Amino acid sequence: MATGDAQHDWASEASQVGRTQGRLFELLCLVATAAGIVSVMILLAFVALDAFRPLSADPGWHLVFFLTLVAPLSALGVWFYRSDEPAGEVAYVTAGLPVVGLLVAGGFIVIFAELLSVVEWFALVVSAAVAVAVVVAHGRLRPQAALERLAVMLLAPVVSLYGVPPVAFNRLVNQFAAATGLPVELTVRYIGLREAILKLPFVPADWLMLLATLTLPVAAAAGLFTARRRESRRDGAVLAAGVSLGAAVGAVAGPLVGIGAEAWVILATFILPPLAVYVEGVVRRSEGTAGLVFPVVAIGGTLVGAALVQALGFAGPEPWLDWGFLTSAHSRTPAEAGIYPTLVGSVMMIVVIVLSTFPVGIGAAIYLEEYAPSTGWTGKLVTLIEINISNLAGVPSVVYGLLGLALFIRILTWPQGTVIVGGLAVGLLILPIVIISAQEAIRSVPDSYRQASYGMGATRWQTIRQVVLPEATPGILTGTILALGRAIGETAPLLMVGVAASIRLAPNGFFDLYSAMPRQIFSWSSELDPAFRHGVLAAGVITLLAVLLVMNATAIIIRNKYQRDH
Amino acid sequence: MTPNESTTDDGTDTATAADTASSTPDPSGEPLVDHDISVGESTSTDASESARGEPVIESRHLDVFYGDLQAIDDVSMQVPPEQVTAMIGPSGCGKSTFLRCINRMNDLIDTARVEGELRFEGKNVYDDDVDPVALRRRIGMVFQHPNPFPKSIYDNVAYGLRIQDIDTDVDEKVETALRRAALWDEVKDQLDKSALDLSGGQQQRLCIARAIAPDPDVILMDEPASALDPIATSKIEDLIEELAEDYTVIIVTHNMQQAARISDKTAVFLTGGELVEFDDTQKIFENPEHDRVEDYITGKFG
Repeated sequence: MATGDAQHDWASEASQVGRTQGRLFELLCLVATAAGIVSVMILLAFVALDAFRPLSADPGWHLVFFLTLVAPLSALGVWFYRSDEPAGEVAYVTAGLPVVGLLVAGGFIVIFAELLSVVEWFALVVSAAVAVAVVVAHGRLRPQAALERLAVMLLAPVVSLYGVPPVAFNRLVNQFAAATGLPVELTVRYIGLREAILKLPFVPADWLMLLATLTLPVAAAAGLFTARRRESRRDGAVLAAGVSLGAAVGAVAGPLVGIGAEAWVILATFILPPLAVYVEGVVRRSEGTAGLVFPVVAIGGTLVGAALVQALGFAGPEPWLDWGFLTSAHSRTPAEAGIYPTLVGSVMMIVVIVLSTFPVGIGAAIYLEEYAPSTGWTGKLVTLIEINISNLAGVPSVVYGLLGLALFIRILTWPQGTVIVGGLAVGLLILPIVIISAQEAIRSVPDSYRQASYGMGATRWQTIRQVVLPEATPGILTGTILALGRAIGETAPLLMVGVAASIRLAPNGFFDLYSAMPRQIFSWSSELDPAFRHGVLAAGVITLLAVLLVMNATAIIIRNKYQRDH
Repeated sequence: MTPNESTTDDGTDTATAADTASSTPDPSGEPLVDHDISVGESTSTDASESARGEPVIESRHLDVFYGDLQAIDDVSMQVPPEQVTAMIGPSGCGKSTFLRCINRMNDLIDTARVEGELRFEGKNVYDDDVDPVALRRRIGMVFQHPNPFPKSIYDNVAYGLRIQDIDTDVDEKVETALRRAALWDEVKDQLDKSALDLSGGQQQRLCIARAIAPDPDVILMDEPASALDPIATSKIEDLIEELAEDYTVIIVTHNMQQAARISDKTAVFLTGGELVEFDDTQKIFENPEHDRVEDYITGKFG
């Protein structure tokens, strides 16, 4: 034994290498991870408990739905996980697609309820389509006339959408003439196609216009997609026709079961085509078809459960977060208070943020990464600017609110508390984050691609346009959408630019007064009635988190899609 | 923007200013002309002359600096047309730098500075009226590591045509380039697959196809086979020999046997960016003039 030890002295008991430090470090890391996750989970659980109040229901209610809905779905889930993983993905997607479609459809329903009437939408889409058709037709007929093409591209939309000359142009000229005393006044103008449609003495029913301008394009897109994927025009046409027909029939039959014709058309447009395309693909591949059972069981279980609960007389829970909460405005009585106007306000604010921040932020990132000099005193200046941008990302949000107050309200004298002011103030706040994340994405494009492109004799613009940007897009999109997630939850800048604590009516335009969800939640937190502080507030928080989750999920889906493409 | 007249004769300051001045706007500028690298002055070389053996590329007292570091020291050489010219030498001897001077890829490095003359078809490519973008469209390049774009195989090969706005017979040109790069049979059924799914050797041949698709005059290769296994390497070598029937090929390599196998002329660079010997490959490998070259080739040094 002694000789053996002498020969293999690296394998003896005494020669084990010490690992205590490493184990301890691993344990500490685990504790840190768990502490973070668990505390957030506990908080979410409390908020959800307050918002949904599951304990206010009869135990029997819980039992019935557990048996009809939760147990079968869990069993299916476990089975998919164990033995049929593709089916699990199918189940996941078929259950998720209608939810996404529902959200998009809800967005459109809100747009038609708050922002523009169906006939205005119809006029807009038809005249835009005519303008595009004119440009395309010109390109076909005279492919060589480049300058003429440019003129057509500029003029066709103006003529179609705004008329000749546009109202704003006339007003500007007349104002200028009045100010300078010139004896000119523009009165003659020819209205564009859009205004002509709006002035028609009669228009088709709302649902027909929606069918023409919303359902048909979406159905056509789905049909084209299928036609290309299956290389069969017939299949694509069948799909497009089926979707349109479903929407049309539903629009006539919908009112019988209490769904408005317009709402039905919108719902059908955004739920049917993606689902049809996906299910068709699953059936054709005949892989994971068992997953299609999942949504059927979910719907069936809900219906059976509802019927049983009614028959047995079990009372359901009385959640704060219900349909009424999502569709009504703030009220003095907690039971009637809702979040609808601020939900709309938040989404409109996001639109302002996207339109203002993304072009500026991504443009700045492209300049800093691809064009800006890196040597000499200009290079030093660029470095200084980059350091400043990084620091700006950490400036407290209340300071950005102050900036918004000074810039938009004091200097530009815009009315305080409007969507545009709130959106721009929060947009300033996330601009540095957008720039930095877009810079990161552009920087992660390997230099060898740029070298290859320049080596082929590409100009810098061609290299950026054809090599760098396609490769950086998923990263840019993920980073910027995550920045939006931060924007939607910001409260301090809204306080500074005078956003109302709560409003009765959703804003009808970007220059209207509005309130946003976090602002409303903040004002609920200081209500005297504890029902506001414990119930309504929790429901508001859950709604805000749900919107945030949808945005982050979008970011993840976009990223995954692009990664799969490469 | 100072005129770049004095690059050959005097101080470094002028040259720096002129070089940055000419390099900054380059990549963004549109090509001045499509089929001629220079403007205002016609090139003196034509097809009949190059057939007589006029050098396609000729350097005259070329010096290259990266900041204060001199990478190329007074190199003068003449590269004959439609042959393979190999450049060998230890790491850091400036052979890659010389290669990148020919199509002005060094312009992309801010600190790089070039003095002396480098003539392509008799015209100094560092003259003011030369657009490096137009120059690079005449001189293709293949890099050390295969770097196909993350696009489809077809789009990779068609890239050079697309950026030059060539939209006639693209399919035929892509097929011809892939055939010449000995890749067509392997990829003809998957032209719309991502180029990144190919093996390393296939990727490098794809890069060669991409470089020859717009039909350049010269192909520069920077250690094209150093990241590949022996089988892929031998395919690339066969390919280079075939390409030399129509193109002037300049190849940088660390592999002495490779240079001996495929090249007609060999240039030996040794430390400090100095061109020690440039002659027929056979002479370099069998009877070099300089002892240092012999030491390097036989492995006593470097």
